[in-house]
Amino acid sequence: MLERLRYFILRALRNMRQWPFLCVAAILTMAVALATVATFFLIVVNIEQLASRWTREIQIIAYLQSPPPAAKIPELMKQLESLPEVSSVLYVSPTAAMDHFRQRLGQDQSLLEGISEDLLPASFELGLHDSFRNQQGIEAVISQLEGILQVDDLRYGQQWLERFNNFIRILRFVGIFLGGFLLFATLFIVANTIRLTLYARRDELEIMALVGATMRFIKIPFLLEGAIQGFVGGVLSLVFLAVSFSLVIARGMNAIWLMPTDFNLVFLSASQQLLLVLSGVVLGTLGSLTSLRRFVRI
Amino acid sequence: MIQLYSVTKRYSRESVAVDDLNLRIDKGEFVYITGASGAGKTTMLRLLYAAERPTRGQILVDKQNISRITSAKIPYLRRKIGVVFQDFKLLQSRTVFENVAFALEAQGKKRFEVSKKVYQVLKEVGLEHRLQRKPLELSGGEQQRIAIARALVVDPLILLADEPSGNLDQRVTLDIMELFKRANARGTTVLLATHDDSLHRRFPRRVITLEQGRLVGDQRPNDEISTD
Ligand SMILES: Nc1ncnc2c1ncn2[C@@H]1O[C@H](COP(=O)(O)OP(=O)(O)OP(=O)(O)O)[C@@H](O)[C@H]1O
Ligand SMILES: [Mg+2]
Repeated sequence: MLERLRYFILRALRNMRQWPFLCVAAILTMAVALATVATFFLIVVNIEQLASRWTREIQIIAYLQSPPPAAKIPELMKQLESLPEVSSVLYVSPTAAMDHFRQRLGQDQSLLEGISEDLLPASFELGLHDSFRNQQGIEAVISQLEGILQVDDLRYGQQWLERFNNFIRILRFVGIFLGGFLLFATLFIVANTIRLTLYARRDELEIMALVGATMRFIKIPFLLEGAIQGFVGGVLSLVFLAVSFSLVIARGMNAIWLMPTDFNLVFLSASQQLLLVLSGVVLGTLGSLTSLRRFVRI
Repeated sequence: MIQLYSVTKRYSRESVAVDDLNLRIDKGEFVYITGASGAGKTTMLRLLYAAERPTRGQILVDKQNISRITSAKIPYLRRKIGVVFQDFKLLQSRTVFENVAFALEAQGKKRFEVSKKVYQVLKEVGLEHRLQRKPLELSGGEQQRIAIARALVVDPLILLADEPSGNLDQRVTLDIMELFKRANARGTTVLLATHDDSLHRRFPRRVITLEQGRLVGDQRPNDEISTD
């Protein structure tokens, strides 16, 4: 069994050495194809990351029907803080709200003269944890608020949130659509390149069949070859991506992209890198398999 | 060893390559297959190693009916059959040794068995000193001897040769005939398709004659003409 495997690997390697040009062509095709798909993936992921930062602004403002007695406020704060979605709680008394309003009016403060200090309602401003800054998180908090406070009105940027959700949905749809298309094109190109390499070796395939080699025996070295080339192609595409990524960072392209200064571009995670290389292996094997089907017929 | 029952092969509606052929070839026979160009010699041989399926009729090889053989079983049929072609069909990028070893490796033989057997058979065809050469560095006669070595290295029950000396001169042809004779003497059934009448004059054996796919003659040495 081990000797069989050794023999197959040796034959795969010898084939590659015998046709260096075809081998390099197959590897480069796969590397370019994989790098293209991965770059596209990175762009989508980074846009999404960037967009999710906009949701930092999201908070819920609950306006109360009447200001609670001062003694009850700490207890209410504690109750609100104990909600799992809530990260911060701020109580804004009518007076504080009025101060705030006054500051905003600036020179026009005189408009407020003679107006009662408690004209504006008291409110709680609730910050949310990252993972709850979305429709579901907000709804969960709101439903719990009703048991705690006498809420008169709620503000949480409904319209903005809806638009944001639509944006993400479109981004993902376009991403999946284009990504799928790219993947398909990749498979097609890779299969064709491999078909070319098999065409150059059709004599060998014919003679193998003639001397009584089984289908499995004929195919395994070619599949192995495809897998090895896919692996090398995957690693190459990863190296290419990593180098160009660090170039982008080094050149301070962050700034050109009008990004917040504290935003870091996201690279592939370790498991995604592994996945990229594995896709190369799968791509090479599948490419060989589909092309072999056309050539090896007894 | 080989039996054909009303075997017909059509490539298309108009062209009948082999037409209602009935034939029996016993173990250890040496048979020439002759006939004009296009008579169906190559087609008949291709039917025997299952490169073609018959349109009609039954073919038995070593008691196995191969007329509807499945692809999965073809390799095992071919391990019993050595085939030699006019154009040798050697791998130009491989050495002489590798070309011959190929046939054994394809059957999954162990490495030490392979080397020993390849050396033996190359010695037999007189090319043991050319092990590491590439086919193109050798003469046509030498290349054909390698092809014969590749066919014989697996100890086949049957050896099929399709105009093996078509491109070779008289002296080389005799060398090659000698190899076939020796294989036949060891018990291998030999079928040799050829235009060359001088072969069977020098070395008389059973002669099967085809004409437009039909069997028109089946002649044994020291025998009256008999036709089925
Ligand atoms: N693959 C094919 N497709 C269609 N017709 C074919 C094919 N192979 C052979 N034929 C036809 O079948 C007939 C028999 O051909 P075959 O090659 O068996 O003859 P042959 O006796 O070997 O001839 P030659 O001595 O020239 O080699 C011919 O008429 C040929 O044109
Ligand atoms: Mg012919």
